[in-house]
Amino acid sequence: MSVNVTPTPRLTSRPDGTSGKNRKVKPPSSPAARRSRRKEALWGFAFIAPAVILFAVMGLYTVGYGFLLSFAQWNGFWPDWNWVGFDNYADLLWRSPVYSPIVHDAAWNTLWVMIAVPVLTVAIAFPLAVVLNSVKRLSGVLRSIYFLPYVTTGIAVYFAWQYILEPNGALNLLLKSVGLGSLSQPQGFLGNPDTALPTLIIVMVWSAVPVAMLLFLTGLQTMDSSLLEAAQLDGAGWWRTQFSVVWPLLRPITAVIVLLNLRDSLQGFQIFLIMTNGGPGNATNVLGLETYRLAFLNELAPTLGLASALGWILFVVALIVAFVNQRAMRRLG
Amino acid sequence: MSASAVSTPRRATGAPSKERAPRNPRTIISRSVVGLLLALYAAISLYPFAWMVSAAFKDNEEVLEGGHLIPRNPTLQTFSDTWSQLHFFDYFRNSLQVTLLTTVLVVVVYAAASYAFAVLRFPGRTALYRLFLVLLFVPGVVTLLPIVLLEHELNILGTHWGLVLPFVNGTAPLAVLLLTNAFSTVPSELRESARMDGAGELRVFASIYLPLARPALITIALLTAIPTWNEYQLTRVSLNDPDSYTLPIALQAMQSESVVQYNTLMAAALILVVPIVLLFLSAQRYFVNGLMGAVKG
Repeated sequence: MSVNVTPTPRLTSRPDGTSGKNRKVKPPSSPAARRSRRKEALWGFAFIAPAVILFAVMGLYTVGYGFLLSFAQWNGFWPDWNWVGFDNYADLLWRSPVYSPIVHDAAWNTLWVMIAVPVLTVAIAFPLAVVLNSVKRLSGVLRSIYFLPYVTTGIAVYFAWQYILEPNGALNLLLKSVGLGSLSQPQGFLGNPDTALPTLIIVMVWSAVPVAMLLFLTGLQTMDSSLLEAAQLDGAGWWRTQFSVVWPLLRPITAVIVLLNLRDSLQGFQIFLIMTNGGPGNATNVLGLETYRLAFLNELAPTLGLASALGWILFVVALIVAFVNQRAMRRLG
Repeated sequence: MSASAVSTPRRATGAPSKERAPRNPRTIISRSVVGLLLALYAAISLYPFAWMVSAAFKDNEEVLEGGHLIPRNPTLQTFSDTWSQLHFFDYFRNSLQVTLLTTVLVVVVYAAASYAFAVLRFPGRTALYRLFLVLLFVPGVVTLLPIVLLEHELNILGTHWGLVLPFVNGTAPLAVLLLTNAFSTVPSELRESARMDGAGELRVFASIYLPLARPALITIALLTAIPTWNEYQLTRVSLNDPDSYTLPIALQAMQSESVVQYNTLMAAALILVVPIVLLFLSAQRYFVNGLMGAVKG
C-alpha cells in the first residue's frame, strides 16, 4: 500500500494486481480498488495529522526530554546538563540521605491513598448505584446532585473543604452539636498530622464516587434482567441476588473503576498541593507532590533531573499497577 | 433494582395506576431506608457547597463567627465586590477563553483522528492508536516540566495558547478511546452507500458520522471542559502576568495574598463553580448516554 508505482506494468505481470507487499490485503484488487485504497490511506493520514503533530510535540518530545533529563543534573539555568547516569534514581530510592527518606515517607503515604481511595470509592459507589437504580422518582435529580463533586473538583471546592475543616469550622461544630465533641479537632482536621491524611483521603473519595457510581449505574441498566429474574425464581433473596449475581456481573466495571482510581491516587497531587502542601510536616506528602516540588518549588537547586527521575518511577509503577490489576481481575472473574 | 424490574411487566398488564405491589410493613421499612440513604448521600454531596454559598452571603463580621449555615444578614455586597473590584470578571473571561479554545480543538482534532482510526484503513493505524492510549498512563507531572521548558523556547509560555495546546494533547487518550468506540458502532453500510452515491470522505464524516456520534461528542466536550475550567497545576507554573490569570489561579492568589477572608474567598469560589455546574446540568442528558456508549463499546 506504500507509494505504488503506476499500476499498469504490475497488471501485466500479475493478473490479480496483488504485489508481494499487498498480499495481506484481501483480493480482488483491481487497479480501481487499489487506487481507492490508496486514497483512503491518504485521507486517513490527513484526518490524523493534526492529532499526530500535536502528539509529537507535546507528547513524544516532552516525554523523551523528561526521560533524558532524568539522567542529568540541572537547575534550569545552567547552560549545560551535567550527566550523572543513574545517580538520580539511586539518590531517590536509597542513596541520598536528604531525598531518600522524603521519598520513602511519600511512598508510604501514596500507598495508603492507593489502597484506601479505590476500596472506599467502590464500597460507597456500588451500593449507592444499586439503591439509586431501584428508585424511579427523583432519580434524575439525585444523579445530578451526586455528580456535583466530580464537576467541581478543583481549587474552589478544596477551599470550601478547608473552610469546613478548620479549627472553628463547620465540621467541628457539627460534631460538638451531636455530642461527638471528643472527635472534634482543636487544631483543625488538616492541622493534626494524624488526621490530615485520612481527611484528604475522604475528600478524594468524595470526589471519586460520582464517576464510579455513574459507571456502576450504566452497568446495572445494561444488565440482562432475565438473569436477575432467574435468580429470583431460584429463590435467591434481594441480598443474595446483589452479592451472587449483580456484583460478579459488574466485575469488568469494577476493574475499570479501580484502575482509574489507582492511577489518580498514584499520580494526582492537586488536592495535596492546594489543601496541605504536604504538611503538617511531611504528613501528607505524596510522590506526585514531591515530584512537583522538586521540579518547580526548589528555586535554584539542581533538582530538575531528580524530578524527572521520580516522574519516571511513577510512570513505571503505574504500568505495573495497571498490569497487575488486569491480571488480578481476570483471575477473580 | 430487582423488585422494580420484576414488577414492571406485571404492572403493564394490569390496571396502570391503582394496582401496586401489596404494601406490607417490610416494603415500607425498606423503602424508607432507601430514601434515607439517598437523602444522606445527597446531603454529603452538597455539604461543601452549602457552606460555600453560606459564607459568600455573609458580611465580614458575620463570617468570622462561623457556626450557623443560614446568614442572619444576607448580603450581596461580597459577591459584587469580588466580581468587579477584584477583577473576577476579567479572570472569568480568561477562563472562558482557555476552556472554549481547548474544548473546540479537542472535539475537532480528535473527532477527525478517531474517524480515521475507526473507519479508514491506512498503514500504521493500530500502532498509532496504541501509542495514543499508552499516554493515558504517563503521569501528568512527567511532562509538566518539559512542557514549561519547551514553551519557554517557543515563546508561548505564559500565554493562553501555552495552556491550550498541552491541555488538548492531554485529553488525547480519553478522546481517542471514546470517539473511536463511538464511530466504530456506526454500521459501515452507511458509509459504503454514501460513497456509492458519490459523497467524499469529508462529506461522509460530517454528515453521517458526526451527527450519529453526538452523545459521545458532547460527552468528550464535557470531559474536556470540566477539568480545563478547574485546571491548576500547569496554569500555576505557566502564568505570571495577573492579567492573564484564570479563575483557579486568581483564587489561589487571593488566598496567599492576605489573611483569609472566607466570605470573599467563597464568593470567588462560587463564581468559579457555578458556570461549570450550569454547563453540566444543561448537557447532562447526553453525558449519561455518551458514557453508557463508551462502556458498552
